Amino acid sequence: MDKRNRGNISAINDYETQLSGLYEEYYDKIARYVYVHIGSKEEAEDIAGEVFLKALMSLKSYREQGVPMQGWLFRIAHNLTVDYLRRMDNRRTVPIDPVMLTGSDNPVAAAEENIEFERVTEAMKQLTAEQREVINLRFLGGLTSKEVGGILGKSDGAVREMQRAAIEKLRGIMGVQT
Amino acid sequence: MITEDFDRILDDCIDRINHGDNLKDCLSDYPAYSEKLRPLLESMHDVQKTYTFTPSADSKRAARQRFHAALDKQRQATPLFSFFRAIPRPAVWATITVLVLAIVAALVIRPALNPSTLVPSVDGNFVFLISDEPNDIGDFESLNVTISKVGLQAADSLKRLEFTPETQTVDLTQLQGGQAQEIWRGNVTTGRYSQVYIYVSKVTGKLKSAGQTVDVKLPSSKLHISIPFEVESDAVTSFTFDITVVATGHNGKYILKPQIGDSVPREE
Repeated sequence: MDKRNRGNISAINDYETQLSGLYEEYYDKIARYVYVHIGSKEEAEDIAGEVFLKALMSLKSYREQGVPMQGWLFRIAHNLTVDYLRRMDNRRTVPIDPVMLTGSDNPVAAAEENIEFERVTEAMKQLTAEQREVINLRFLGGLTSKEVGGILGKSDGAVREMQRAAIEKLRGIMGVQT
Repeated sequence: MITEDFDRILDDCIDRINHGDNLKDCLSDYPAYSEKLRPLLESMHDVQKTYTFTPSADSKRAARQRFHAALDKQRQATPLFSFFRAIPRPAVWATITVLVLAIVAALVIRPALNPSTLVPSVDGNFVFLISDEPNDIGDFESLNVTISKVGLQAADSLKRLEFTPETQTVDLTQLQGGQAQEIWRGNVTTGRYSQVYIYVSKVTGKLKSAGQTVDVKLPSSKLHISIPFEVESDAVTSFTFDITVVATGHNGKYILKPQIGDSVPREE
């Protein structure tokens, strides 16, 4: 085996180790990120699992161009979510749909949860797609502003500004709804 | 300029809440902004509460199994692992069986969720160091951090290892730039690890300006960094945990945070 190939294999092994190490921490976060977009917990869990498989298969093309691996995972999650929504396009016309939450033994609490879910989801729909992505990646994905900037191709300062504007808008809408 | 400051403060609070800090602590660190911050952080809480759910353990386990099966398959397909394919199948299965039994014994028979405590050794395969990323450390004459325990989380199991540093108190003002202080050296079980955490029991800071001690807060008593690394038997892995101190606005308070970008595992 020549030196270059050995180097490539060593890099891939490092990436595999890194990816494996991220599984426990990021599986849940990615599932939540996807859930915001598609509104189904079961499908979100499936897509989260698919993200890690897809990442594993694409490690050869992975290059750390300023985006840490966790940021790259969210990019994959975003692409898989878009694919999923395209497949469901005949049923869904907006990225975020309110869904009925089920599985509660307490119908009053379940109804209140539904109302709260719709209130927040309606507010989220009023944001621009980019603002929604910032909120989703920061609040549900737990990424830093710098990492979000790496994914969106923006500076961390621009992300912070967008984040503040988005939360103020959410607050305005949810405050009025309350 | 004021908006930019506020954006940074809001961003800091969001980071801290994401790492387990509570809203009240964050507001108390920024009293001048608390009225403006509170409604925004409450909205964050509403969004997180609405969409946060814990994926089912079954789904997560099934996905983990698929991932590891694909990982094994991929590794066997690379030339580096080709010699494994040359081993006759019965031998492979015998090895796998022994490994599975060993893992089951380690996970089930032993009280595996209790972390194993390690003892120091001068010729160990693992060295743990503390360093400081210079943010606002220049404000301090001394900043003594007492670390009561260090833990390592295995990447492929629930196993945790813990050790008590031989040097428990470090002065971060002495550890700026490339400086780092070794606080433990010993033998660590070989394998892959995904997280490192340190338990901080005490922080005492003395400011240069007034010579007075100041309040340095922690997001929680446990600072953790998620970074994958491997410990091997025939090499010494040194891990430098970078801690940074950051002023929280203009209220004379500081917060101590782990610095993931500068915390690095290295093979010596």
